[in-house]
Amino acid sequence: MRLGLSSFLFRTTAAMLVATLAISACASPTQPGTSAAPSAAQAGPVSGGTVTIPIGADPTLNPWSPNAFVESLFINRVLFDGITKPGKDLAPAPDLAESWTTASDGLSWTFKLRSGVKWSDGTPFTADDVAFTFNDVVLKPDLGAQNRASYAAVKSVTVVDANTVRFDLSRKFAALPSFLAYNAGILPKHVLSAEPLKTTSFNKGTPVSTGPFKVDKYTSGQSVSLVRNESYFGPKPYLDKLVFTVVADPNTQVAQALAGDLQIMILDNKAAVDRMKSAPGLSVVARPLVQYYWLSLNQTDSRFTDVRVRQAFVTAIDRAAIIKSVELGYGSIANSPITPALAAYYDPSLASKYPYDPAKATELLKAAGWTPGANGVLQKDGKPFQFTMDVGQRGVLEPVNALIQQDLKKVGVIVDLNTMEWNSYIQKDVVRRDYTATVNWWTYPSDPDVFPYYHSSAAGKGFNIPGYQDPKLDDLLVQGQSTSDLEARKAVYKQLQQYTSEVLPYLFLWYPQEIDVLSTSLNGVPELGLRDAMHYAGEWWLAKK
Amino acid sequence: MVVGQEVARFLFQRIALGALVIVFASALTFFFVNLAPGGPASVMRFDVTAEQREALIKRMGLDKPVTQRYVEWVAGAVHGDFGTSLLTDEPVAQRISERLPNTLTLAGAALLLSIALGIPIGLIQALRRGSALDHFLSFFSAIGLAVPVFWLGIVLILVFAVSLRLLPSAGVTATGDDTVLERIRHLILPTIVLATTILPTVVRFMRSAAIEVLQEDFIRTAHSKGLAPRVVVTRHALRNALIPVISAIGALVPRLLGGTVVTESVFNLPGMGRLALEAAVGRDYPLVIGLTVVGATIAVATTLLVDIAYTRIDPRVRLA
Repeated sequence: MRLGLSSFLFRTTAAMLVATLAISACASPTQPGTSAAPSAAQAGPVSGGTVTIPIGADPTLNPWSPNAFVESLFINRVLFDGITKPGKDLAPAPDLAESWTTASDGLSWTFKLRSGVKWSDGTPFTADDVAFTFNDVVLKPDLGAQNRASYAAVKSVTVVDANTVRFDLSRKFAALPSFLAYNAGILPKHVLSAEPLKTTSFNKGTPVSTGPFKVDKYTSGQSVSLVRNESYFGPKPYLDKLVFTVVADPNTQVAQALAGDLQIMILDNKAAVDRMKSAPGLSVVARPLVQYYWLSLNQTDSRFTDVRVRQAFVTAIDRAAIIKSVELGYGSIANSPITPALAAYYDPSLASKYPYDPAKATELLKAAGWTPGANGVLQKDGKPFQFTMDVGQRGVLEPVNALIQQDLKKVGVIVDLNTMEWNSYIQKDVVRRDYTATVNWWTYPSDPDVFPYYHSSAAGKGFNIPGYQDPKLDDLLVQGQSTSDLEARKAVYKQLQQYTSEVLPYLFLWYPQEIDVLSTSLNGVPELGLRDAMHYAGEWWLAKK
Repeated sequence: MVVGQEVARFLFQRIALGALVIVFASALTFFFVNLAPGGPASVMRFDVTAEQREALIKRMGLDKPVTQRYVEWVAGAVHGDFGTSLLTDEPVAQRISERLPNTLTLAGAALLLSIALGIPIGLIQALRRGSALDHFLSFFSAIGLAVPVFWLGIVLILVFAVSLRLLPSAGVTATGDDTVLERIRHLILPTIVLATTILPTVVRFMRSAAIEVLQEDFIRTAHSKGLAPRVVVTRHALRNALIPVISAIGALVPRLLGGTVVTESVFNLPGMGRLALEAAVGRDYPLVIGLTVVGATIAVATTLLVDIAYTRIDPRVRLA
C-alpha cells in the first residue's frame, strides 16, 4: 500500500510537469519560422512592418542628458534631428540646416535652417529652438550637459532670423558642422524651457521631437516603441513601427535574434558570429567605426617619456594576434588616431609602420638604457622594469590586457594586471588619473579633429589621458581646426597621423569593426555602423514575406 | 482573552524587532554604498571633463557630507519620500513600485512551484528511501544545486525558444499581444530557472523531515489503529514533517530574491532584481537604499509569516 501512495504522489508531480509543458505547447509560436525564403528580387521599397532593435538598458530620451548613455544613442538619433547629420560618407550632411558657411575670419558659422519643419506636437520649429539648445542647455556650465566639452570653442548662438542661426566662436573650429552631426539633437524650447535635462515626462516618456519617428509608448525596463511622425519634414518613413527592446544580456540578444525576434542588432558577443552566419534569415556584415583602442602610458612616469620605450612597446605587442583572437579578425592595426572609417583623411601607408618584432623592441629598449638583469627582467639603475596596468571590466579589455602582459614579458618587462569594476576604474584612472598604464578606446565624431584627446591643454584633466604635451602636436591640432578647406585639412591631418605614429602620445592598438546582424528581409540600411545608420531609419524597409 | 493578549504582544514584539532590522539595514547600506569606490554613472564616464563632474556632483547634492545626506534621507523617508533616482530623475518609490509586481509574480510562482514539486518529491524519496528512484532524485537535486542559473536560463531559451519555438525567449509579454495567456507563457521558463535555486533545498528538507517523522511512535500508532496509509501520511506524517520545511522556506525567500537578479537579467524581465543590478552598477545611491528597504521588509515579513504559520500547523507551538 505504501507503494500505491507514493505512486499517487509521483503521478501528481508528473502531472504538474506535463501541465507546464502543455501550456507552453498549446499556445502557438508567436514568430513564423525564419526559414522563409529571403526576398532577393524585390521590386522596390514597400511600406509597413515593424523593426525591433535591442538596446542594453532603458534609454534617456534627451541627447544632452548626462544619463544618456550608449544605449540612448540609437533612439535619440532617430528622434532628435541635429543641425547636421553624418552623411553616408560620414561627412556632415544637411538635417535641420540646409546649408552652412563660415565667416572669412573663421570665427563664426552661419546655418540656414530648413523652413516648414514642425515638432511632433505640431508647433513650428525655429531658430529659437537651436539657440535655446545651445545657449540655455549645452553652454550652461552648471547643467553639466553631456558632450558640452565638444563646444568649448562656442561662445554663443545668435538668432539671425527665424531660419538662420550663427555660432560665434572664441577660436577657429572647422569641425563644427561635423560635431553638430554627433549626438547634438535640437531640443524643443516650448517644452523644456523650465527644466531642459530633468523633465522625466520627456526623457522617460513621450518627448516632442522632429525626426521621422516619434515615441508612441515607453515601457520602463521593456521597450520603447516608435511610430511615424506625421509632422516629419522629410519623406514618410516606410516602417510602421520601430521598437527598441531592452535586452541587457548579450547572450539573450543572440538567442532573441536566432528566434527571429530582432531585425537588426550589433553583435557584442563576437564569439556568436559563426552561429549567426549559419542562421537562416539573418545576414552578418562588418562595418567600420570611428573608434580606436589604445594603451596609455602615464607621462608623469619618467620611464614612459622616452619615445624609444613607447616605440619598443608597440613593436613588442603582437597586435595582429590581438585582433585575431579577441576581435576574431574584425579590425585592423592602428598607428594613428584617424580611423579608416574617415576614408577622406585616413593614411593607409602607416598600417605597417610597427610590425611585431620582439628583437627590434629589445634593441630599442637597450638604446633607452634598459638591459636584461638576472632572470631576464630588464633593468635600469638597478631597478626592474615592472609596472601595473589597470583593467576596467568591460568588453574585450580583460583578454587584451592579458595578451599585452604576455607580449611584454617576452621582452623582459613585467606587467601586473589590476582588474577593476568599471565604475571604480573610471574613478581611479580617469577622474583621479592615478594609474601607470591602461588600455581603453576612444569613439569620436566623424571628423579628424582630435584636439580634445591630444592637446596639451587637456592633459591631466580633459581627455588627454596619457598627459602627453608636445608643442608641435598642439600646433598641428590648431592648424586642423583653422581651415575649412578639405584639401588643406587633408594635408594637416596627414601630417598629424605621421607625427602621432612617430611620437606615440598613446600607443595605438587597433581600429575595431562592428559586426551587425540584419534580418534578410530588412533593406535600405546604409553601410554604416548601426549607430550612424539610425539617422537613416526613415529609409529602412521590410520586404513582404 | 489571555491568548489574544499573547498574540498581540507577540506580534508587537516581532514587528518592532522587524522595524529595527529594516532601519539598521538601511543605515548600513546608506553608509556602505556612499563610501564604496566610484560614483554615479553620469559622473563616472570616460567622456566627461573635470568641470562637468563638479557641476553634476553639485546638482545631485553629493557635495554634502554623508552624515548630512543621511539625516536628510531619513527625514524624507519617514514621510514616505525615498528620494530621486540619480539615473532617471524619477522618484525612487515610483521606480520600485513599477518593478515590484513583476518580481513578486516571478518569485511567488517559483516559490509555489518549488513547494508544489518539492514536498511531494521529498515525500516520495522518504517513503522509498534507498530505492533507485530515491538515488535518482537525490542526484537530480545535486545537479539542480550545482547548475549556474544564467547557464540554465540560456540553455532553456535555446531549447524552448530558439529550437522548439514553444515559448518566448524573454520579456514579460508579447509586444502588441498582452494577454494573460501570453504573460503565463513568458513566465514559464524564468519560473523554472528561479525555482532551481531553492527546489533542491526544499526537497532535501522535506525528505529528511519526512524520514524522521515516519519513524516516530505516533505514526506507528496511527498505522496500528488501522488508518489507511494515505491518511497516515497526509494527515499525520506530512503535517509534522512540514514544520521544519516551512522554516526552511522562510529562510529561502532571501535566496529567491537574490536569484531574481540573474533570472531577470537573462529573461529580460523588468523586476527589482535587474533594477538592483542597474542601481548598484550605476551607483544610484537613493535607489540602492530604497531597494534595500523593500528587500529587508520582504524578508522580515516572511519571517513573521513563517512564525504565524508554525502556530497553525504545529498544535504544540504556543505563543509565549
